[in-house]
Amino acid sequence: MDKQTIDSLLDPLTIQRAEALGLQARYVVEGYMAGEHKSPYRGFAIEFAQHREYAPGDDTRHIDWKVQARTDRYFIKQYEQETNYVSNILLDGSESMQYGSGRLTKFQYGKMLAACLAYLILHQRDAAAVGIFDQAMRDYAPRSDNRATIHTVMQRLAAFAPTAQTNIAGVLHDIARVVRRKGIIIVISDLFDDEEKVLEGIQHLRFAGHEVVLFHTLDPDEFEFPFKGLVEFEGLEGIPKILTRPQEIRKSYLREFEAFRTRLREGCEKNHVHYVMVNTAQPLQEMLSSYLAFRLKTTTR
Amino acid sequence: MGFLNPLLLAGAAAVAVPIIIHLLNRRKFQRVVWGAMRFIKASVDQNQRRMRIEDLILLALRCLILALLALALSRPAMKSSTTDLFGQTKVTGVLLLDNSFSMGVSDGAETRFDKARKAAEQAIDALPAGSATAVLLASDIAQGLIPEPTFDLNFARKNIREAKLSDRASDLAPAIQKAIETLKGRAALRKEIYLVTDGQAAGWRQLGDIQKSLEQTKSEIKSHILLVGAKEEGNLGISGLTVAGGLTPVNRPIRFEVQVTNFGKEEAKNVRVTLGVGSEPSGDEITVPLLRPGETIGVSLFGKLRAEGFYPVTARIPDDRLLADNKRTVVCRAIREARVLLVDGEPGTEPRDSETFILGHALVPVASLDRENYFVKTTTISAMELSTTRLDDFDAVILANVADFPEATVKALEQYLKRGGGLMVFPGAKVNVGFYNDVLFTRHALLPAALGPAEGNADQEEKFVTLQTRNYEHPVTALWNNPGAGTLASARFYRAFKLEPAAANQKPAATDAGPARTVLRYADGGPAVMERAWGLGRVFLFSSTADTAWNDLPVRPAFLALVQRTLGSLVQRQDEGLNVPVGQEFTRQVSLDLIGRDAQVTGPAQSTATRELRRIELANGVPTFRFASTDSGGAYEATVNDPPVVIRFAAQPDPRESDLAELAVEDKEKLKTAASVYDWSPSLSFRDLVEKERVGTEFWLPLALLVLALAAVETWLAQWFSRQK
Repeated sequence: MDKQTIDSLLDPLTIQRAEALGLQARYVVEGYMAGEHKSPYRGFAIEFAQHREYAPGDDTRHIDWKVQARTDRYFIKQYEQETNYVSNILLDGSESMQYGSGRLTKFQYGKMLAACLAYLILHQRDAAAVGIFDQAMRDYAPRSDNRATIHTVMQRLAAFAPTAQTNIAGVLHDIARVVRRKGIIIVISDLFDDEEKVLEGIQHLRFAGHEVVLFHTLDPDEFEFPFKGLVEFEGLEGIPKILTRPQEIRKSYLREFEAFRTRLREGCEKNHVHYVMVNTAQPLQEMLSSYLAFRLKTTTR
Repeated sequence: MGFLNPLLLAGAAAVAVPIIIHLLNRRKFQRVVWGAMRFIKASVDQNQRRMRIEDLILLALRCLILALLALALSRPAMKSSTTDLFGQTKVTGVLLLDNSFSMGVSDGAETRFDKARKAAEQAIDALPAGSATAVLLASDIAQGLIPEPTFDLNFARKNIREAKLSDRASDLAPAIQKAIETLKGRAALRKEIYLVTDGQAAGWRQLGDIQKSLEQTKSEIKSHILLVGAKEEGNLGISGLTVAGGLTPVNRPIRFEVQVTNFGKEEAKNVRVTLGVGSEPSGDEITVPLLRPGETIGVSLFGKLRAEGFYPVTARIPDDRLLADNKRTVVCRAIREARVLLVDGEPGTEPRDSETFILGHALVPVASLDRENYFVKTTTISAMELSTTRLDDFDAVILANVADFPEATVKALEQYLKRGGGLMVFPGAKVNVGFYNDVLFTRHALLPAALGPAEGNADQEEKFVTLQTRNYEHPVTALWNNPGAGTLASARFYRAFKLEPAAANQKPAATDAGPARTVLRYADGGPAVMERAWGLGRVFLFSSTADTAWNDLPVRPAFLALVQRTLGSLVQRQDEGLNVPVGQEFTRQVSLDLIGRDAQVTGPAQSTATRELRRIELANGVPTFRFASTDSGGAYEATVNDPPVVIRFAAQPDPRESDLAELAVEDKEKLKTAASVYDWSPSLSFRDLVEKERVGTEFWLPLALLVLALAAVETWLAQWFSRQK
């Protein structure tokens, strides 16, 4: 893979800005390095979290004897542990991501976003795994906290070319089943799939205890629909061609599109998922730094 | 229901244009590879039906607009005689106003032409608003005052009011034909011809053709004929005025032949005929005691021309209701003397044996004492002397039985003829036929004919041929068409050369040579005398001798007139064209120094303030004065200043126009089958007569307005449909 292509995925300016903000796991994340993140594992290490009634099978070492003395009941002490988190960055590599009205296609933008996030995560000594999917996971760089991994990640990103339709929901379900360790699941996709199913997949991930961040990557054409005259739309994912005068259906299109986004956003909010709309016309650093600033503000220990 | 431009209906095929554009546009689109198809599909599914309906509405509107436009351009029209719901149809008309001189007949208060102008104005007034009309003056030609129909009817009225009477004859056929041609190609619902004329039969001499033309176009063109003027019973006119002799010498009494005709139906008594020469109002006069209806009487009147130059000579009779034919003018050029060179090829021993003896006496028919004062001066020389004689000293040269002469003399003769000299050739026994035919006829084309074999025997008196007795066509011999002038037929020709003119398609060797014409024929039709113009001069060739050797013509009385008239034709060759029929162009060759000069022309009815200018230009390499506006009868004067040159000429009206006989009742009935004929009177309401026929209407305007409205609707709908939805 040519170095220039790989380097283009990491925009120095973007990295520089994002580094300062860091990537805080929004929720407590399971980790094996005591890092900057709250651990989802309440237990037995550093910081007390709460008491819980003893149940048979619990390690008797963790019984709070002081409480037992006062109340004559057995309680177990639970602690919060700062962990190194594991993040899975999932990039949609379906055909529909190939659309781009400006300098970049959604896929290229997504690749840059994925690369930057991976770099940031590895730079924080957290572990990152990067996967590209369409109907199933096509390429997966297993989790690693080795900074040198970034190179492999970028090579894989750069080498991938979209060819197939998407099935986001299926992939999310698979991830939920496969990734046992709770962490951050970052999904970068245009989500042009059945949004109900997508939300189900997200719910599954949340249920498995993952934090989910959804980067809804859209080209400005897709939410502005500025076409005029007679246009033939050729479907990227097997839908037959449609010849129409877009101007005459613009309002209707925008209505449909907005409803789709609203359903997604609301579904995400319901599941406590960060929904981030990504406009590919917006410079990556701006988008990323504004998201990270927002994240920094909302993340509390 | 019909179409005035039916060919343009084919434009309805243009309805295919929006469909084709629509189909072509469907092939011209932007292609976008798109991800979010489901939203487009959903939107299209919601809007497809509406968009299709909108498309269909726009397409139908556009097709309809084009179809209606084609329909409007094809000018649909409805002719109907049962309803005037749509008002009167616009008319495209041609108004023909007869201005021949019979329209000058006055009833004491106004002339027929005055009435005709009123009738014509009425016809214009009766035209519905928006109509167009052309105005033509009809005489023996159609003269366009407004040649193409104009919508400016006031302009048409003005032209009618200012129209002038001419002295032309009337023949309505060409004018009616012109009117039909003017209207034929026009796209108009109603086409009408109005002919305002008197009912003079002469104008309808081609009634059959006129009727046929009108019948043929009856379905398309409606003709109205307005007859003005009351019946006129009596008219006397001068139907002819000619110079009786061929020559018009100065200060000698010249005989003018005046023909007076009674065109009326009643006898005319004591008709005083006067003759005025130049500015003198009247000179010689005579009274014709009785002129029966239809009778023509020729009277001789004498006048003297005082000095050299052009003289108008006018014969008059007392005025009657038609003034134009009460006088007639000819112009003649007075000459001081005519010098003739007689070349005698056979002088003989005694004067009376000479070849030119009788000829000389015929040319100077006066006693020897008076010869000095006679205007024809003859000089007789022998054939030998010809080569040393200066030909330019003579007006005419006569070769009588001259055998031949040297080439240099032929050249001299050629130059002499070119400058306007005259040559008369009499053959005889001595002529060298080879020389005449090879040199004079073939090589130099001086003679109008070759000499064929000499036929007959001069030594006997039993077998002879005679000359034609009637149908004289040449001006020199036209005199003998009048039996009162004597006869040529009594002359006997025992021997004569057969004259053989060149074939009609054979071009003469010399460019100066004009076409050969036969002056006089034998009874069997063979030419006896022929002539040809040569340069500015002329050559006459006789077929027999000038003395009595081969014939007895020289001793007949007609010989003197024939010789004199032939001499007149030679000497006054250029004066022949001084008198033209009214309407014919006058042309006269003038001297070279006048090229490019302007001649001022004053017509008979014009004051000096309204002179016309004509430039003298080259025509066929010869400086020529031309004047075509000879619509009035009488004398014209063209003057060029410095050096002062005056040319006078005259135009003579056609005497047939003086015959005021009306169109026969049965002819009038025949005419009514092809046209509406009205006897006009000031109380006639022409409008009421024609209005009933003019109902019907054209639909192009409402259609055009509908197209405009539809176009506006289409524009609005297209905007409305393509707004964002």
